[in-house]
Amino acid sequence: MTGQKPPHDPRGDNGQNQPPDTGAGMTALSYLIAGILVWGGIGWLVDYFVGTTGIFAGIGAVLGVAGGVYLIVRRLGA
Amino acid sequence: MVIGQSTVLAAAFPPSVEDFYLPSILPWGEHNAYWFTKITVLVWVAVAAIIIFFLMSYRKPQLVPTKKQWLAESIYGFVRNNIAVDMIGPQGVRFAPYLTTLFMFILVNNFFGILPLVQISPMSHIAFPAVLAVVSYVMFIWVGIRKHGIGYFKMAVVPNAPLGILPLLVPIEIFSNFLVRPFSLAVRLFANMFAGHMLLLVFTLGGFAMINANVLLAPVSVLSWVLTIAITFLEFMVICLQAYVFTVLTASYVQGSLADEH
Repeated sequence: MTGQKPPHDPRGDNGQNQPPDTGAGMTALSYLIAGILVWGGIGWLVDYFVGTTGIFAGIGAVLGVAGGVYLIVRRLGA
Repeated sequence: MVIGQSTVLAAAFPPSVEDFYLPSILPWGEHNAYWFTKITVLVWVAVAAIIIFFLMSYRKPQLVPTKKQWLAESIYGFVRNNIAVDMIGPQGVRFAPYLTTLFMFILVNNFFGILPLVQISPMSHIAFPAVLAVVSYVMFIWVGIRKHGIGYFKMAVVPNAPLGILPLLVPIEIFSNFLVRPFSLAVRLFANMFAGHMLLLVFTLGGFAMINANVLLAPVSVLSWVLTIAITFLEFMVICLQAYVFTVLTASYVQGSLADEH
């Protein structure tokens, strides 16, 4: 019938729609936590073997946060 | 007092993890056998219900859908368009069946948590979310290897960054992509369902504990039971949200595996 064209994209999957940022928050959080845990953990191991009481764990955690933030900017930033 | 004790069967007030381990059905009443319990039954009921529902809805598909067909198509359409295609892009359509199955399975199993007279979710035992997380984990790695070959691991682990700080970043990427992901998928769903069940237990049993301790506390007990109903509605929200989040994150991980080199 005239005037009854089927919708342009009835199935909604043949456009070039970019995936939105859902889940980006989860990724960001996981990078931050992973950063702290990995480098904090490595620092803790260094502490354990060197015999210091926590200085390397602290440095490691700070380094890890820095790395995590850097990764978030790289992977999620503009 | 008698009412209180007879209604809630042998439930001690501060509810504990023991309350999640229900007596065995086969062999009947056994306390240290966990092979066939209410949880087992619920999982199979969920599986059967989903299969039967979708089979019945699609048995005689009509151009103008019946109500049941409309519901089934809406569920599939929602996951397909709003999760699979939105997250992964046009090639996400081939993951829609898995994602829909995952979504429905989690949703129905979670819903047992607030279904009157059932009121415990299999997902409040970490084994079930853990297996689902492993399935999704293996799948997104497999998809990545299929698409990029063994270079997938390099892509997933080595970010686009100056060589100097790569040693700092690569361990974080490995940890975050291959260790945190399955763990957080499983724990998020499990913890939500566990906490929800615990919360309902605290408010229900707490009401009985207070009324048993002192009759003057009866109004507070009633308040506690009213709040149980309110929390049940809150739980309904959590149930839908967690099923959605698990599915969306799985889709997001698959999208990461399919992404082009950056």
